[in-house]
Amino acid sequence: MDSSGWTELNIGPQHPSTHGVLRLKVKLDGEIIKDVEPVIGYLHRNAEKLCEMSYYCDNLIYFDRLDYVASMIMESGFLEAAEKVLDIEVPERAKWIRVIMSELSRIASHLVWAGAFGLDLGMLTPFFYCFIQREKILNIFTEVCGSRQQTNYMSIGGVYQDLQEETITHIWEFLKQFPEKLEEIYKLFIKNDIFFSRTKDIGYLPKDVAIDYGVTGPMLRASGVPYDVRKDEPYLTYDKVNFDVPVSQKGDVLARFVVRFEEMRQSARIVKQALEKLPDGPYFNPKGKKSLMIRVRGNGEAYSRVESSKGELGTYIVADGSVRPYRVRIRSPTFKNLSVLPVLAKDTMIADLVSISGSIDLVFGEVDR
Amino acid sequence: MAQVTKTGELGIVTTKLDEAMKWGRSNSLWPLTFGLACCAIEMMAVQASHADVSRFGSEIFRASPRQADLMIVAGTVTKKMAPRVRRLYDEMPYPKYVIAMGACVIQGGPYARGYSVVLGVDRVIPVDVYVPGCPPTPEALQFGLITLQKKIRGETNR
Amino acid sequence: MEDTEDKQKTFMGKEYTLGKDGRKIIFLTKDEFLPFMKRLKESGFSHLSLITGVDRRDYIEVVYHLHSISTNEIVVIKVKTKDSRVPSVTSLWSSADWDEREQYDMMGIIFEGHPNLKRILLPEGWIGHPLRKNYDMDTPQYVNMDEDGEDYVTFDSGDGW
Repeated sequence: MDSSGWTELNIGPQHPSTHGVLRLKVKLDGEIIKDVEPVIGYLHRNAEKLCEMSYYCDNLIYFDRLDYVASMIMESGFLEAAEKVLDIEVPERAKWIRVIMSELSRIASHLVWAGAFGLDLGMLTPFFYCFIQREKILNIFTEVCGSRQQTNYMSIGGVYQDLQEETITHIWEFLKQFPEKLEEIYKLFIKNDIFFSRTKDIGYLPKDVAIDYGVTGPMLRASGVPYDVRKDEPYLTYDKVNFDVPVSQKGDVLARFVVRFEEMRQSARIVKQALEKLPDGPYFNPKGKKSLMIRVRGNGEAYSRVESSKGELGTYIVADGSVRPYRVRIRSPTFKNLSVLPVLAKDTMIADLVSISGSIDLVFGEVDR
Repeated sequence: MAQVTKTGELGIVTTKLDEAMKWGRSNSLWPLTFGLACCAIEMMAVQASHADVSRFGSEIFRASPRQADLMIVAGTVTKKMAPRVRRLYDEMPYPKYVIAMGACVIQGGPYARGYSVVLGVDRVIPVDVYVPGCPPTPEALQFGLITLQKKIRGETNR
Repeated sequence: MEDTEDKQKTFMGKEYTLGKDGRKIIFLTKDEFLPFMKRLKESGFSHLSLITGVDRRDYIEVVYHLHSISTNEIVVIKVKTKDSRVPSVTSLWSSADWDEREQYDMMGIIFEGHPNLKRILLPEGWIGHPLRKNYDMDTPQYVNMDEDGEDYVTFDSGDGW
């Protein structure tokens, strides 16, 4: 292959379409991409080291800030593993509250993605519509825990605070208007010819390549593999709710878009069922009190996986019988999803690179940790 | 500066050129699209419908540092990123202002004990206004912006 | 593949123990590592979920979480290494590429046969591997950019950030 006439182009780390601090070293033959090398690490915040240095209950704040648009899911992922290591049971009501909050968080995350993806493709309007809906979810989060984005709501042994009747009515109010508004946003995208031509048949990801690279989440499901941790290894109470796993066989950018929107509809469905089934009872196991947590010793090791909005979030905790974890390892979904970008972008036009990298749903707190 | 009621006719306002410049500058701060981490999402929320920063003349987020005059450092500055932050700041034309948004940017935040985080962006670039919080709410960032506008106009907060 | 499971607690001819989360943990020596991984890949473990290095102070344990999407099973493979060298599995799973680079960066594990083993998260030239237990947290390192846009690491706080 003759590479003498290739142009080298550097994109990032400050670039409006990279959703953070991604840097891409691109080699171009005319307008055709021949090679992409993602350079990451511009947001490496040593979360794994800090987790080793702090108590189990303090680890949560670093998990909050991993995937900062869906922090509730990150918390539940850590707690799945930590509660196994610490042998702490979670009351039934707390599990249901966690399901409700995770799914609301998933909707919020996908809405941010949809808005930012629209901006990538030059559409400003959907961004505003998405953020109106997201603000409503953040208001619910503020009610339950006082914080908008980095919630720190779940804690070892349950949740920090019970779900009040007033909050439940607010969630119902949100759910009542949400499906209609979601269709409105969906139409803004899908009825736009420019959007269609910039996403259809672009960034094709075959099934076997996706599995080989460890791609999970909506990206994998858009390539035709119905793998969803919520179905395959139900955690919390996901085995008691009905929902469908959206799968597309197309594998292009448009398929990922459609799958994410369908996931939002399914999430709203789960929240509805969870609110109906929400049992009474304690919301917190007193064994997990923070004043006790600095003396509780963990032992053994546990690997948990949960379905985050980007894919499979794995948390591997090795304990050595002390009050701090010995090793915490995070399997971040976007780290794996990003590694497939050179395959996706090869032999496409440079203008499509933005559309492809946007469809991965990059969040750099999670890629770099 | 003197104030006149709007009558539809072209009135005459007398002021010092200096004051007029400050007034103009403070009400058309164009921020740089520069999101680093968590706070960037709240910065986006400021731009979006609920908070709507365009009421204060900052709706146009410029993608190029050469067209921007306000840098909102939103998110943790790591050691690998710090030279790039410096370069972006150097590329901005004068007069330029910096808002440090969030605990990480002010002193390292929850990551202060680690090995790869710069303990405060003021070690890299000069900062005009600090907005604390983790992350600051959109309202807090708006207050930071208004404080910066007052600072440009030479007013005090009291 | 799991025919002998109930009799002997073996999985594909290897003894296993159950972890706290109910997953099978198999300890391998470095010699039998690659052939066994190849067999696992052929028997349907097509998804390499995670590679972790655990610094046990006198040796390093490399942990592989392998996942089979068809049977929905996770096995945990553990290899001990004293000289922090293990064979690379990039030829079997492409996802091992970045994971191994990250573990090299953070733990200093050298994966023999990796095509492009260089730092991924920290800048080139960083001294030490931060997730090692003996990593010196008290000596800060500073990073700056030279004329060509390449990073360099220094101990002088006046030269970098």
